[in-house]
Amino acid sequence: MEVTPQPRPAPAEPPRPSLVPRLPEPALSEELRRLRTLLPAHLASSVTSGTELVRALEKGRRDGFIPTTLEGVDTLLAGGLPRGSLVELVSRRASGRFSIVLSALSAASSLGEAVALIDLGDHFDPQLAEANGVDLRRLLWVRPRNAKQAVMSAEMLAATGFQLVVVEMGLHPVRGRRAPDAAWVRLARTAESHGTSMLVSSPYPLTGTASEAVVKGCGTRAQWLGGGRSPRLLAGLTMELALEKHRHQKAGRHASVIVTASDAQSLFRKQNPRAAG
Amino acid sequence: MTRIACIYVPLFPLAARLRSEPDLLQEALAIVDGNGSGAHVVAATRRARTKGIHPGMSLAQARAIVPKLIARGRDPECERTAQEALFEVAETFSPRIEDAGDGVVYVDVTGMRRHFEKPAEVANDDETSIATLTCAERALGSAVIDAAAKIGLPVRTGIAASKLAARVAAELPKSPVVVEAGKESEFLAPLPLARLTPQLDASATLTRWGIASIGELAKLPESEVASRLGEIGRELHHAARGIDPRPLIPRTIPPDFREGMDLEWPLVALEPFLFIANAALDRLAKRMEIQGFACRRLELTLNLEPDGFHARGIDLPAPTRDVKTMLTLLRLDLEKNPPGAPVVGFTLVAHPDRPRRAQLSLFGPAALSPEKLATTIARLISMLGDGRVGMAVAVDGHLPERYDISDYAPPPPPDRRPEVRKSRGLLAVRVFRPPVSVEVMTREANGELQIESVRGEGDLSGNVRVSSGPWRIESGWWSDAPAAREYWDIELERGGIYRLYQAVDPAEWFVDARYD
Repeated sequence: MEVTPQPRPAPAEPPRPSLVPRLPEPALSEELRRLRTLLPAHLASSVTSGTELVRALEKGRRDGFIPTTLEGVDTLLAGGLPRGSLVELVSRRASGRFSIVLSALSAASSLGEAVALIDLGDHFDPQLAEANGVDLRRLLWVRPRNAKQAVMSAEMLAATGFQLVVVEMGLHPVRGRRAPDAAWVRLARTAESHGTSMLVSSPYPLTGTASEAVVKGCGTRAQWLGGGRSPRLLAGLTMELALEKHRHQKAGRHASVIVTASDAQSLFRKQNPRAAG
Repeated sequence: MTRIACIYVPLFPLAARLRSEPDLLQEALAIVDGNGSGAHVVAATRRARTKGIHPGMSLAQARAIVPKLIARGRDPECERTAQEALFEVAETFSPRIEDAGDGVVYVDVTGMRRHFEKPAEVANDDETSIATLTCAERALGSAVIDAAAKIGLPVRTGIAASKLAARVAAELPKSPVVVEAGKESEFLAPLPLARLTPQLDASATLTRWGIASIGELAKLPESEVASRLGEIGRELHHAARGIDPRPLIPRTIPPDFREGMDLEWPLVALEPFLFIANAALDRLAKRMEIQGFACRRLELTLNLEPDGFHARGIDLPAPTRDVKTMLTLLRLDLEKNPPGAPVVGFTLVAHPDRPRRAQLSLFGPAALSPEKLATTIARLISMLGDGRVGMAVAVDGHLPERYDISDYAPPPPPDRRPEVRKSRGLLAVRVFRPPVSVEVMTREANGELQIESVRGEGDLSGNVRVSSGPWRIESGWWSDAPAAREYWDIELERGGIYRLYQAVDPAEWFVDARYD
């Protein structure tokens, strides 16, 4: 995996505006407050109530990231796929979109999270996904027939509690009519209220204003081994990605990611030690 | 001391019908038995009764009094399901219940009254103790009435030491009635003889003797009654004295839940049928909820006109009680396999299973609620169809397009959140199912075959910048469907890297994946 040098460090993340109204948190119990005042400062800070503990754990579950483990993508998104948000990955001509999807599924399933792939184009290859580290037991594979079914399925799965839902819209043209903008806004709200990371991978922008971030594939360079009279072997791809939109980061930054073909991986590593794996 | 509760549904044929068609409760409705001129009223709603309709009246007589009287025939299917629903209510109170038929169930409630005692009601002496126990049993009877009302059955309850006394107590209008142990004969004595439901001949004889109440019969010498009325007279005399030696015979628990009804007229469209089926599924779900079950398999039997039936079975992906899901699956199945004749009745059978349970973790990744997951998967399958939702399974073999899909049952998440494992960063392929047929131009350079251009639909056209191959795959040469292919990787000048193959027989080219 290779990352291009970043022009500027990412600015500090401002507080995220919420689409869902938060309920006011109940005040601390009087007994706990009294106990903390009686204890020395270093002990008082480590005394916690069950409610606070559960709330902190819940907050941790909702506010974190699910890393894709592809450094270029994680750097652009300031850590990975944010929980409770919708991120769109757009690329038509350039390749590499599905590789990022598989990496995200692999990383999330390795964390023990329940993940779902909504595969509109019916392109998923279980053997390759398993080879890439996806825990197939934790992956729910859904194969809708059109865009509307895909969005409805994603909403249902987010509401069920899946921590990562990937909506893979397939190749151009997207099967079925486009889902209305309101459907994407609703999907983003569902993701936010359930703390789900929602990744929409599509050949052209679909989600409009509903997405937290949009990463666009700008170009692809295929890596071939061999030349001249020696046989050629596809070794991998170098993807150029750009952060087209982000609610809390500066857009316009670029990164590149290298993925290797499974057959040529060992051979390719010798020639390109910076490759992923 | 044995204590038996009798749960009694007054006007059972009417109650069973109203459970299926609750809208008729406020109407002048009569349930009739028999056909044509032999049709007679067996039960009627309060509105019909106030206008003079009573059981035993012929339908013609009833119509003469109330011309707009709604008449419904007795529906054995409705009555059977209502009886089953009654069993399930009874089983929530005690596992030992007896089916006495036609809206009557006996429940062994021995020792149960302590569950209904209030903490303040601590007995200090014998008299207070008896009053407390009676009060607790009355609370138990009220709880039974409330539970039955939730499933749409108006019931009365009576609690006594014998089945006979409990039955007579349950038939009294003010419910619940509790008969203290040993006071059965005192309880029965003032009641009219008709409460014992004696045989008609014996009843007429007793009336001629001038016997009107149960107590008067009990005062007669047993041997004299037996010598005049035979064995029936002896049993009647025992009953009048509150002696009932019959034990409670527990029923065996049936393995499934049934709901159904005979329709008034044949249905030919799906929507009206689903409207009725929705109500039946709702009743099934409530009954299963009472028992803590969920539906694993749903069977539907449609009675067709003029005869015959159409049976369907739907296996649910996971046990669920979600009515919407079951109804959608039913709709999809009937759309795929229509019955082919008008429907005049139906039976729904739900095979129960325990809902999936799991202990959710506090510190590990958030786990999915098994019941919620089951419902979601069932809904997805109902929306997308079979084989389109599940767990992807890697399959052994050589052909790249191989795959399998099975039921999704994720393992529980780890107790602690593990460290993220770095992905191998492999280049993924998008498999094209089915492969896309293309035309391929090849040329020979340096003694090697190379692909020059590809012509296909959409993005699958253009000159080839790099081609790599061939790799030969032979699979299943021993089987009826052998596959021999030569695979190539190509990169188009306009962008896009594809995997294509040439089938040996017939010699056609297909693109089966895109590197992405």
